[in-house]
Amino acid sequence: MSVKATIPRNRWAAFSLVPLLGWLCGALIAAILERLAGTPLALALGLPKIPALFGIDIMLKKPLLVPNAMLYSLLIYALPVAVVAGASASLTNRLAARLFGFPIGITVAIHLALFYAILHLWAGVSDYRTIVLKLTLIAVMLTLSLNVINGYMGEFSCSHPGFMALGAYCASVFTVGLFVDDRFFGAVFIPPVLGPFLFPIALILGGFLASFGALFVAIPSFRTRGDYLAIISLAFLFIVKSLIENLEFVRGPRGLSGQPDWADLPTVFLWAVLCVWSINNFVRSTIGKALNAVRDNEMAAGAMTVDTRRTKIVAFLFAAFWAGIAGGLFAHVLRYVNPSTFGIQNLAEVLAMVYFGGLNSVYGSIVGAVSISLLGEALRPLEIFKWIIIPLLLILVMIFRPMGLIAFKDLDVRTLLRPKRDPGGEM
Amino acid sequence: MGIFLQNLVNALQWGSFYALIALGYSMVYSILMLFNFAHGDIFMVGAYIGFGVSIGLLALSSSGVFAMPNWLILVLTLLFSMFLTSFVGMIVERVGYRPLRNAPRASAAITGLMIGIILETGNLALLGARRISFPSLVETTTYEVGGVFVTNKKIMIVLVSLLLTLALHQFVRRTKWGMAMRAMAFDFSAVPLMGVPVNTVIALTFAIGSALAAAAGILFGIAYPVLDPYMGILFGWKAFVAAILGGRGSILGATLAGFLLGFTEIFVAMIFPSTLRDLIAYSIILLILTFRPHGFFGEPYSARLRL
Amino acid sequence: MPLLTVHKMSHDFGGLRAVRNYDLEIEFGQIRGLIGPNGAGKTTIFNLLTGIYTPTEGEILLDGRKINGFPTHRIASMGISRTFQNLLLWRHMTVLEHVKMARYSRIRYGLIGAFFGTPKRHKEEAEIEGKAYQLLEMMGIRHLSDQVVLNLPYGAQRRVEMARALAAEPRILLLDEPTAGMNPEELVQIMEIIRRVHGELGLAILLIEHRLKVVMELCRRIQTMNFGEVIAEGTPDEIQNDPKVIDAYLGKESVI
Repeated sequence: MSVKATIPRNRWAAFSLVPLLGWLCGALIAAILERLAGTPLALALGLPKIPALFGIDIMLKKPLLVPNAMLYSLLIYALPVAVVAGASASLTNRLAARLFGFPIGITVAIHLALFYAILHLWAGVSDYRTIVLKLTLIAVMLTLSLNVINGYMGEFSCSHPGFMALGAYCASVFTVGLFVDDRFFGAVFIPPVLGPFLFPIALILGGFLASFGALFVAIPSFRTRGDYLAIISLAFLFIVKSLIENLEFVRGPRGLSGQPDWADLPTVFLWAVLCVWSINNFVRSTIGKALNAVRDNEMAAGAMTVDTRRTKIVAFLFAAFWAGIAGGLFAHVLRYVNPSTFGIQNLAEVLAMVYFGGLNSVYGSIVGAVSISLLGEALRPLEIFKWIIIPLLLILVMIFRPMGLIAFKDLDVRTLLRPKRDPGGEM
Repeated sequence: MGIFLQNLVNALQWGSFYALIALGYSMVYSILMLFNFAHGDIFMVGAYIGFGVSIGLLALSSSGVFAMPNWLILVLTLLFSMFLTSFVGMIVERVGYRPLRNAPRASAAITGLMIGIILETGNLALLGARRISFPSLVETTTYEVGGVFVTNKKIMIVLVSLLLTLALHQFVRRTKWGMAMRAMAFDFSAVPLMGVPVNTVIALTFAIGSALAAAAGILFGIAYPVLDPYMGILFGWKAFVAAILGGRGSILGATLAGFLLGFTEIFVAMIFPSTLRDLIAYSIILLILTFRPHGFFGEPYSARLRL
Repeated sequence: MPLLTVHKMSHDFGGLRAVRNYDLEIEFGQIRGLIGPNGAGKTTIFNLLTGIYTPTEGEILLDGRKINGFPTHRIASMGISRTFQNLLLWRHMTVLEHVKMARYSRIRYGLIGAFFGTPKRHKEEAEIEGKAYQLLEMMGIRHLSDQVVLNLPYGAQRRVEMARALAAEPRILLLDEPTAGMNPEELVQIMEIIRRVHGELGLAILLIEHRLKVVMELCRRIQTMNFGEVIAEGTPDEIQNDPKVIDAYLGKESVI
């Protein structure tokens, strides 16, 4: 049964019948197209090269080329995705239905593999794209983990950059100390080929250190809430930053460099997926919902058998763990880390991503992180005016949607992967 | 002993800045239960406005049209800048906070943060990244009292701060508007029922807080003449901590805590290597807050940034 | 052995003695009433029994075991559950989530299950959900299970709170003014629910109420409090005619 025969009055409604699989296929074709024909097309359209970020940077730098850049985006991105997704809808719906029958793990794995392929192809065009993508994935991890504390548990925590810093430095000391030079641990011989396999351990150690640090904020949270906890978390931020600056062991304010290049795209992608998956699992469980209960009324939560102390500790330590992992990845993507990165500006950025995207929401955190990260990169040609536009945007969102764009929405894997039925009940 | 007293004088000066800025935070918090994260940047704006005003007055004076002694220029700069900056504060409230009066406080806090960033970026865009030198309006005279060297600048700064704090205290205690502020701090919803114009009182609160921050900015410019757009971040956040330490909405508390913070930083720097200053000062604060979460003079009222 | 025994419990707030020498013995399946003018200390008693405050003096014994000073959540998981006078619901959560939450202490799948979505967790969550739907059915609000409680009418919210309290599988249910703010129709329904809950689940119930009609009808034994002390105790008839009780209420009868 082809889509043509059931075209509804409103042609956009046809797109609501496309399953996720269909969109992924469309995007995959677009990415392949760009790799094969991108450069010639760009040159033909009068652009110097393939636009780095959907053409926005070129549009800002050379306003005359706006129509050219838009045409490129239309031809390479919008059109192939729309056409392929739409045309193959019946096929992909059937495939999706087949896949839906498999154990959910396999279905998810296939979709993720497709998604990764798209990212890989897209990023492969330039190093710049690769870094932007990696940093965006890291931003997703940071935003989601902060949302656990600020959104799901309703605190106002300013300590996230501190957790990130702890993770970044711990992982860096581990990798640099064991594989790069002997200034930390002396001469330790581990065959370099083992390196990438020990990288996860370095990251996890960083995560644990960050969790340990979170105790200093979690334990005071037993007695104080709200504004006072905000101050404590802020003090924690300053203390961690100052601690690192004073540690000659890690070269203080000069920063640590030389991290091995192990944070490649597949690695960062996998950790991001793990992060989203585990946090989503957590917040959808009854144990995770306890965070909401503690937020909305702590006394009632206790009266309903919820161990509020355990809930707070778990929330803080779990969130800090992922912030630490994100920090470790961050350090290894940039291959340099210094304490000034983890101060108030970082705090403002990550808070912006959480509140812009949406509180208490996995979708919201992903949207917020991707939007603000990409916007930040795309608006780079505007230089400092970027930091007027982005805050203004956030203020507008706060005024009209105080809880963020997409609040209170978690990921339901089954709904996401479900094939879409058409109104006639056929698939 | 001499060193101790010397540092005491420095601490009094350093603490004056924190105290004046902390007062603004405390006032807004007591009425709106909200931390105005843009306040530190209003301190910065005040300093820059002071720079502009003083340059203007100096030019006016030296052109012969209206010659003024430096001390007069200083006083006029202070008054005029405080007046102008109070408008900045009121605009921030009107544009950023009033639309969010009924929104969750966390959202309003984020808005304040963003406004602060806009102020910083605006400054950078307008004046560029180079640092600005605050004109010297006071000739430094150093007095020696029992082995301790005190400059007239330091005395002036501390005196002006105390004077302004006292003036605020009198205003809040003795005037009709001050009483309205105290009433709103106590029970926000009852006040409009008594016929008090809520928006006016709130605007006034922001205006006064910003004026005090501007005063701090100018005094800071006199003591440490180099201004930069990010000076608000450094001072603002620390003064914010002082405001909490002093207790919710307490003028006396904010002042005391501001001085305490100043003292802690100076004396920690005296004993330990200066790089450890922030680390130790904040650890002490963290400790105090863990055991006395509501600050010195705050009530043990568990305030929440509710969703 | 009585289910719950309270022996000479007193509690001070600063210099004020809010509760003085309170005694109580409840067995399985008994419904007891607690009445008295506003400020008499009734809710404070509930807060003491559920561990929100630790009594200054006296003992609370559950199954013969002293539970003074135990944290609230532990007492709740040991079998004492309650509703609140001012409906302390979780405004952003759905009805179903409310009822599921009270099963927290019985969860076995732990953090591993929570983070990794193990089969054990899915099985347990399904069980929890099943039990929750049963309770919602019993309360007559199953059709509201996916509604966020913020949007519900008052009567429905009261039922959610009761369903939530029952989900913890208590042996004693403390109801703090369950009929507050209800119209006559809702009143009848709530009383019916309380009777059913008592009958079907065999709970012991301690009821704080202002409407004397409700208390007289439901409870076999009633305590009257004034100024933190029990001034009279007995059957509904005895209480109704006790001069001290009448005096405490100044002869006013509550509107039924």
